Amino acid sequence: MGYCVSIKRMNEILKELQKEYKIYAPVRFEKRGRYSDTDLIRYAEINSIEDVVYDEKSDFSPKEVIYPITQALFYFTEYEYMESKIDDKKILIFARPCDINGFRRLDTIFLKNGGTEDIYYKRLREKVKFILMECKEGGWDSCFCVSMGSNKTDDYSLAVRFEDDNILVEIKDDEFTNLFGDEREVEFTPEFVTSNPTKVNIPEIDSYELLKKIYDLDMWKSYNSRCISCGACTAVCITCSCFTTLDVTYTENGKVGERRRVHASCMHEDFTIMAGGLSFRKTAGERMRFRTLHKIYDYKLRFKDEHMCVGCGRCDERCPELISFAATINRLYDEVKKLKKAETTKDIK
Amino acid sequence: MSYDIDIKKVRRNCYRQSKVRGEFMLQIRVPGGVIDAKYLSFFQHIAETWGNGEFHLGVRQTISIPGIKYEYIDEVNKYIRPYIEEIEVNLCGVDMVVDDNGYPTIGARNIMACIGNRHCIKANIDTTDLARKIEKVIFPSDYHIKLNISGCPNDCAKAHVSDIGIIGITKTEYDYDRCIGCKKCVEACAHHATRVLSVEKGKIVKDSCCCVGCGECVLVCPTGAWTRNPKKFYRILIGGRTGKQTPRMGKIFLNWVTEDVVLGVLKNWEIFSAYVMNNKPEYIHGGHLIDRVGYNKFKEMILKDVKLNPEAMVAERVLWAETEYRSNFNVKPVTQR
Ligand code: SF4
Ligand code: SF4
Ligand code: SF4
Ligand code: SF4
Ligand code: SF4
Repeated sequence: MGYCVSIKRMNEILKELQKEYKIYAPVRFEKRGRYSDTDLIRYAEINSIEDVVYDEKSDFSPKEVIYPITQALFYFTEYEYMESKIDDKKILIFARPCDINGFRRLDTIFLKNGGTEDIYYKRLREKVKFILMECKEGGWDSCFCVSMGSNKTDDYSLAVRFEDDNILVEIKDDEFTNLFGDEREVEFTPEFVTSNPTKVNIPEIDSYELLKKIYDLDMWKSYNSRCISCGACTAVCITCSCFTTLDVTYTENGKVGERRRVHASCMHEDFTIMAGGLSFRKTAGERMRFRTLHKIYDYKLRFKDEHMCVGCGRCDERCPELISFAATINRLYDEVKKLKKAETTKDIK
Repeated sequence: MSYDIDIKKVRRNCYRQSKVRGEFMLQIRVPGGVIDAKYLSFFQHIAETWGNGEFHLGVRQTISIPGIKYEYIDEVNKYIRPYIEEIEVNLCGVDMVVDDNGYPTIGARNIMACIGNRHCIKANIDTTDLARKIEKVIFPSDYHIKLNISGCPNDCAKAHVSDIGIIGITKTEYDYDRCIGCKKCVEACAHHATRVLSVEKGKIVKDSCCCVGCGECVLVCPTGAWTRNPKKFYRILIGGRTGKQTPRMGKIFLNWVTEDVVLGVLKNWEIFSAYVMNNKPEYIHGGHLIDRVGYNKFKEMILKDVKLNPEAMVAERVLWAETEYRSNFNVKPVTQR
């Protein structure tokens, strides 16, 4: 069912929804961007529909809403502990198709990986319903969702299209039908992007021998001088889920405090450092290799169905050194093609 | 040809005497160093019609056109009238009457600025915009002032060697929850700036005494935990100079002041200069004027009616460090005081 809703009415409906829901959307933080006089767009609670930045891609992904950057897990004293609490309200997230598909990857990592569910993720995830936001035609310059097959989704409760004075809404979830009862009915279902300016070819890595050769490719070395290991690419990624856990003590005797987790980045130098100083991926190139293969090889190897990367392109937009992940994937594809060709020529000989 | 020229009068019109008798170099003002590219053909026309066909990118960001013969000056002045109108009056809002006599004065020199945040990734302010606002305050004035604006403490525009130097700084703000304790900002601050950041219990602690406001921590932070306060802040340096006798670096006068304070201070410059020179404008570096009456008198006069913002900091005193090309240069016989 579709409705045409005025901005004013939409805000009244949001007010109504806010009784039960916290509503999150990409919001503009003026002049808070990396560079002077640039804005930052990231997810935050909204109070009106005008707060939603719908015509630009957000710098950061919505993962922060249910997987906060800093999250207290429990609090402890010498003798007791107490689990952290969360807000009672349910959660609505304005999200694009790639991000909704991205949440499915996060679900896999947090809930279906190794037989244990991550309760801190689960307790927030269970509260979430999505409001799908249409993308502009073709998406944005750096999007490659079509190549990753994540340009479409039907996992949403409401879908919206922002028009100048109105918002078109599709309702898929009966829970919300009542709210829109008085609105003008229209034919509306969201349209999905079917082609992006950026396209990637995913290399097929079908043998361990090939994988070993990929490990040694020269292309990774080029990132040693280009990548500054800042971790901006993983911070914005909807599907990056790594965190580190630490105990923070409040008092001088060090016996009262909290256990918290904070996001971590495989692109940082210290990501693989073990007690004793042993480190597995010492160079930026090696870390880039790991990230690339994680996003377009090993996740799928383990969980079948789909690659981890959804092609949201945020990592490209955010890299201060202008390293494109899409270009990296395509470079790898070309290298793999060469390796395979060399292999067949060898066989013939 | 034999010339009889009052070169002081000509200089006042921004024509600089050449080693070739009767030739002059016109210094065209480009406040802040940025204007539309369309003026290139305008400069080209002057150089090819009246000059020697060359132009110099003046060290103070003027477009300088050498080889103009004295007898052409009137023609050139007529020709540059619309330029002066467009740049000074329309673009900068300078309160002046433009006529056929060229630039009315050379006193307040062209305002220099780095490219600032119109382009530079390190910049904290729009230097071009500020230069244009300041042009309105300091021009036209017969009192000399060299004013340089840099978009960040890297100071590419050399605010440290000008009478008044202005540097765009940022008050960074920290979002505890967004910080992942990666230490990238700590490393950046240590590498580029003043080592004021450290990690404690997985989060950042800042010794804000000595933050120079460069914004390197913001640039490197992967999560956007560090951001710039959207309000613009400035540092003002005073008394820097080059020269044959006692070149020296300018010293910090005000820190963390707003644009209103910057403009307010500059409004008082002419009054201060006139006071020190008994209303007879001379070409003397600002630092010498400050030296003559002392820093305290300067401070009193230059801050008159200026409302300092709450974040502002003011130098209690200034300890100059000069390069004395003749030792004990400042120690003079009583007769020369
Ligand atoms: S790797 Fe880049 S393009 Fe892929 S999901 Fe992450 S941020 Fe988006
Ligand atoms: S954002 Fe760019 S420079 Fe930073 S770690 Fe990622 S690839 Fe390297
Ligand atoms: S002073 Fe700073 S803002 Fe200006 S050009 Fe240099 S680095 Fe850029
Ligand atoms: S760079 Fe940002 S995220 Fe990393 S420690 Fe500094 S403030 Fe925290
Ligand atoms: S703005 Fe301050 S804290 Fe940040 S890098 Fe510069 S000096 Fe260090």
